[in-house]
Amino acid sequence: MSDSALSLFLSRLDFAWITSLHILYPPLTVGLSLLLFGAEWYWVRSNDERWYRLVRFFEKLFIVNFAGAVATGITLEMGFGILYGPFSQAAGPFFGQVLGYETITAFMYEAGFFGLMIFGWGKLSKRMHLFATFNVAFASSVSVMWIVDANSWMQTPAGVVFKDGFFHMVDWVAAILNPDVILGFPHMLVAAVELALCFVAAISAWFVLKRRQVALFQRALKAAVLALVVVAPMQVYLGDGLGRIVADDQPAALAAMEGHFHTNNPDGSVNTGWHIIAWPNAAGDGTAWAITIPHVLSLLETHTWNGAVPGLDSMPAQDRPPVVIPFYAFRVMTAAGFAIMLFAFWGAWLVLRGRMSVEKIVLNPWFLRAAILCGFMPYIAVWCGWWTREVARQPWVVYGLMRTAQGVSHMSVLEASLWLVGYIFFELMVWGGVWYFFAKIIRRGPDMESPVLQNGHQLDALEALSHDPAPLNLSIAHRPGPRSVHR
Amino acid sequence: MDELTHVQSVVTFAWWMVLAMSMLLYIVLDGADLGAGVFSLFVRNPHERGAIMSAMAGTWDANETWLVVGGGVLFGTFPFVYGSLFSYLMVPLALALWGIITRAVSLEFRHLAEERWQRFSDFAFGASSLAVAFFGGMAFGAVLQGFPLTHRSGEVPTYVGGALRFISPFSVWTGIAAVIAVTLAGVLFVRWRFERDEPIRYHAEQWGEVLFYLGLAAVVITLVFSASIFPWAAGKWFGPDWWIWALVLLAVVVAAFKMRTAFRRHHDFSAILWLNLAIAIMAVALMATVYPWLVPGTWTLYAGATPAVSLFTFTLTMGGFFPVMLMYNAYQFWVFRARISALAANH
Repeated sequence: MSDSALSLFLSRLDFAWITSLHILYPPLTVGLSLLLFGAEWYWVRSNDERWYRLVRFFEKLFIVNFAGAVATGITLEMGFGILYGPFSQAAGPFFGQVLGYETITAFMYEAGFFGLMIFGWGKLSKRMHLFATFNVAFASSVSVMWIVDANSWMQTPAGVVFKDGFFHMVDWVAAILNPDVILGFPHMLVAAVELALCFVAAISAWFVLKRRQVALFQRALKAAVLALVVVAPMQVYLGDGLGRIVADDQPAALAAMEGHFHTNNPDGSVNTGWHIIAWPNAAGDGTAWAITIPHVLSLLETHTWNGAVPGLDSMPAQDRPPVVIPFYAFRVMTAAGFAIMLFAFWGAWLVLRGRMSVEKIVLNPWFLRAAILCGFMPYIAVWCGWWTREVARQPWVVYGLMRTAQGVSHMSVLEASLWLVGYIFFELMVWGGVWYFFAKIIRRGPDMESPVLQNGHQLDALEALSHDPAPLNLSIAHRPGPRSVHR
Repeated sequence: MDELTHVQSVVTFAWWMVLAMSMLLYIVLDGADLGAGVFSLFVRNPHERGAIMSAMAGTWDANETWLVVGGGVLFGTFPFVYGSLFSYLMVPLALALWGIITRAVSLEFRHLAEERWQRFSDFAFGASSLAVAFFGGMAFGAVLQGFPLTHRSGEVPTYVGGALRFISPFSVWTGIAAVIAVTLAGVLFVRWRFERDEPIRYHAEQWGEVLFYLGLAAVVITLVFSASIFPWAAGKWFGPDWWIWALVLLAVVVAAFKMRTAFRRHHDFSAILWLNLAIAIMAVALMATVYPWLVPGTWTLYAGATPAVSLFTFTLTMGGFFPVMLMYNAYQFWVFRARISALAANH
């Protein structure tokens, strides 16, 4: 590899690392805030204390996750300019604007209500607090929309003209409603919900398996599994739709995802084979080995028995994306999606058979273990999904218009390596911290003793706050000693 | 590049002010947290160090949101500056960002750590606060020095000058000056947040006396340094309007002495406000000095702004959102008014 090719590769790795370690947190923020809103709404309506306990418990995990999202997110906001300076300049008129919208209409909006949601217990009325939770959920969903919109525009850039080295806006509506975002946004939003449902299901299953607070967590587990029965198939459906958009607008990306090297077979007939698994040969122009089923690819992409799908050999060599990562990441994502769906169906069957009741739920240890395993599935799926999307777009940073090599900052190999080494250390520190904190909170379990904080500005509620600072602030709550300095 | 219309120029100017205001809020709010962190390096008692961290536990991340807002405005409105400036500042920004991450982790995890680890994580907290202040200040000085741009036809001018160009005597000095300034703010913050009979307040008082003079000296040195190496600064300061600049300097000095008076009289919160006033006056003076440059000698704010239509739409969205944002922020303050007075009552 030449020096510039190596530094290009390293800059891609630099950005891949900081985005991969950031995407671990926002989907849970988004999905869990929606679930917290649902549970709190149910509590306000029914006054059923158990939902209150669940909300307060999962909210603690939510806060830790939020801290991880902020710590890794600040880097990302600056990372575009640092690692992809020329791209940021060229795409700025659209991309920078959209990220700017995100900062104002989602990030600030969310941060404002986040404070009310976390610190507002016992100070706000129940309805007002519910309203704050709603706004956190809503703002974070808006955030998903803008971020995915910016990325989708890189996949299917519309509404712009590339001239004088940057993208001039000609049609804002076309750019914002670009073809990819129409399903890209719902796909990511539903992924967030699915991830949060699996997260809740996994933790609840752990408690049930340990026979701690079974009555409480049976409700959470059952609700999450039943929601997954709807959400998981919906996600498969959306993913399939998005795949077809990719097939239409980014044929090279689709060919890479399917490892589809040749449009036609050597004998001239249409190559309709779909690889279950495969590995590219050394020259990168065909498979070294593959397990292939004929006609499936044509059926999937063209819905005909013998329809032609453009292979990588129909594109100029310099425009072909790498194959291995999109091919395998795509398969792993799909497998994880189906696994979650099957798990949800298993749960639904147990519900129908009456085996998910408080008395009988502990009698399904294998289901509970599967639920814990399922907690990790969406994380893997989200990672693989984004790797598919980003690697299959190569060698372009803005598909068909600007190459990644044109978009990266002019870094030396040494600079790019030092960045990577530094961020491997710091992002792992955050990741380790967040998961360690998760484990700690989960082991401690929900707080079943403190009085339920009803409407705000009640004397007894404030009294409770001053004895137990936990509702005030998580960071202070677990820190004995220092706080007493104030009293 | 397309020329901006008159209206667009005005809007660009307004965005520049929003950008400056975000950065000023960040410096004022997070500066105190950083300074308290630097001060904590010299606090022997582990309980006091923990208390310093607790004092900012509820607000430090809210304070840092202003940095994010500043970044959003820079990318959204001035993408040509954002893309080239941040490549230029890669090293100091990366170091400051690592500091920010380390601070976040050591703040959130202190209570989980064993005592042996606590000493280490306390040190990490103090050292990372120092690093953020120093490299932030260094980046600031490097911005004032400007940087070379490419001039290839058909391309947006960008930065290719290497990773270490930001290092200069001036940027090293602004790093040191930033550490002095935030430490002063941090000492005032500690005084404000601790009960009156706590020994740490006495400790902070001694520091405050020294830092006050160091701070004044830092201002003078920075002014002389800038006037000697930046023609754009000397030209304005010693031009026909020199008396205005003299008055501004006088206002800063008056605010600084008011701060010291309040500090000595144990009016802790007014001391903070006087310091912030002095910083705000200097920020406005700095903006007036560099105008029309966003990065002196490199990008004017008009050349760095995104052309035509997008500026209009950005403004439309922000114009609609800003009043709403201000309303809910005000509501937030109103809801938490009780917490502030409850803490104040403990003093």
